[in-house]
Amino acid sequence: MFDSLTIFRIVKTGFVNYWRNIWLSAAATMVMTITLVIFSILAIVFGITQFSINQVTDRVDVSVYFKPGTAEGVIEQFASDLKKKPEVSAVTYTSAEDALAAFKATHAQDQLILDSLDELSDNPLPATVQVKADKIEDYPHIAEGIQNGGYKEHISKVNFEDNRLLIERFGKASKLIVVGGSVLVAIFSIIAILVIFNTITLTIYNRKEEVEIMRLVGATNWYIRGPFIIESLLYSVVATIITSALVLALVSKLQSSSLSYISGTGEGNLPLFYPYGQWTYTIPALLLIAILLSVASSMLAIRKYLKI
Amino acid sequence: MIRFENVIKYFGNTKALSAIDLEIKHGEFISIVGLSGAGKSTLLKLVTGEERADEGRVLIDDIDIAKVKVSDLPYLRRKIGMVFQDIKLLPKRTAFENVAFAMEVSGHKRDRIEKEVPKILELVGLLHKKHNFPNEMSGGERQRIAIARSLAHRPALLMADEPTGNLDEVNAAEVLDLLLKINKLGTTVILATHASDLVNKIKKRVITIEGGRVVLEQERGRYKL
Repeated sequence: MFDSLTIFRIVKTGFVNYWRNIWLSAAATMVMTITLVIFSILAIVFGITQFSINQVTDRVDVSVYFKPGTAEGVIEQFASDLKKKPEVSAVTYTSAEDALAAFKATHAQDQLILDSLDELSDNPLPATVQVKADKIEDYPHIAEGIQNGGYKEHISKVNFEDNRLLIERFGKASKLIVVGGSVLVAIFSIIAILVIFNTITLTIYNRKEEVEIMRLVGATNWYIRGPFIIESLLYSVVATIITSALVLALVSKLQSSSLSYISGTGEGNLPLFYPYGQWTYTIPALLLIAILLSVASSMLAIRKYLKI
Repeated sequence: MIRFENVIKYFGNTKALSAIDLEIKHGEFISIVGLSGAGKSTLLKLVTGEERADEGRVLIDDIDIAKVKVSDLPYLRRKIGMVFQDIKLLPKRTAFENVAFAMEVSGHKRDRIEKEVPKILELVGLLHKKHNFPNEMSGGERQRIAIARSLAHRPALLMADEPTGNLDEVNAAEVLDLLLKINKLGTTVILATHASDLVNKIKKRVITIEGGRVVLEQERGRYKL
């Protein structure tokens, strides 16, 4: 449709217009930035919540303690039966000897404990099987199945830390954040659309004379419209740059401080845009949102006020 | 070149033009005269496609303008130069840039523009003012720059709507002389005006419009209203 020279002239005019109406442009850019920052904060908070849920979920398991003297073969059979269940993701068997060895290793510095253990003739620690499930809601069912299953007489205790309440709370908070945040994002998107609409409308009025002359000397419709669209794209690009700088600074701060608080280890990546988990997705995502908002509103203004 | 066939145009309930039948030949210089509101501007707007006839047809070189797509109108307008009473120059651009602007919007390359614009400015006698801004020129000079701009596409037709309306006698005469010169070089010129002394001086074809109707056609006419 256009040759490169025409595109260059359209883009140049767009830049010149952005600069000439710098205060109008700044206002439009700021509103766009606020919208994007709110969107990003929503995404970060959502990411942190999901990350926390995962961390808590990871720590949940069912521990099955066997009576002393249970044959190893029985326990192995029990473990392999469990592995066949579709809801079970992992089964770890720790023999009584291994448990004792691990216990001794942990308390290698504590002579009192080691001496007490030596006093005992039998190994006081039971053989255990740890069971992990894919879904948090499957744990009660698995625990119940073990308690009432065929290995009942060999089992001394079935223990599982029910973190479901905590996880459910996190889940609720996460939903609340998404709903509340989406409302905020929607409101600010509408504000951004209105402000950009008004800005472009004012620019059209400012340049009424020029537009009339362009039409008079035979400029095509897109040659006249193009600079206004470029101008609105500039709001998006500048707003995205500002937001990205703010968000990346915030994320790197969160990575170093909060992550260790949540996970206890400080390891792992904060999933900014859950489930992608990569901040490199942030900038294109923000830019896309910004472009959609600004192009939509500038097209509305052009359709309404720019008579070709 | 241009033919109006039984053209009728309404604005709301008001009939702006009624049953206009008119033919303008290649290379002609034609004056359309009439009082303000007689329908002169409407007639010109029908040629550029800015307004569409409610009945009848307007043809340019046998092309019915009503059938030209809106997206193709810019290309039609590049074949028609337009000059107005209020001149419409860009105030923040120099004489050169104002003329160059018309060439830029239609995608001409920079070197072509650099070559053509001085020639056009020379034709209107204002090459020496190429770096001046509109507010540094007289009314007549500004209008001549506007005419230069309208010539940027080397149009086959130049339409001037009251081009001398805001000018004093001397400046008006300069503009008129320029239009006659352009006509002599082969461009068809349509001059819409209510300035009787100008029309009487030209001694060319005159169409008189009154109340949206052609009331008089003279081959070497005078202003009679």
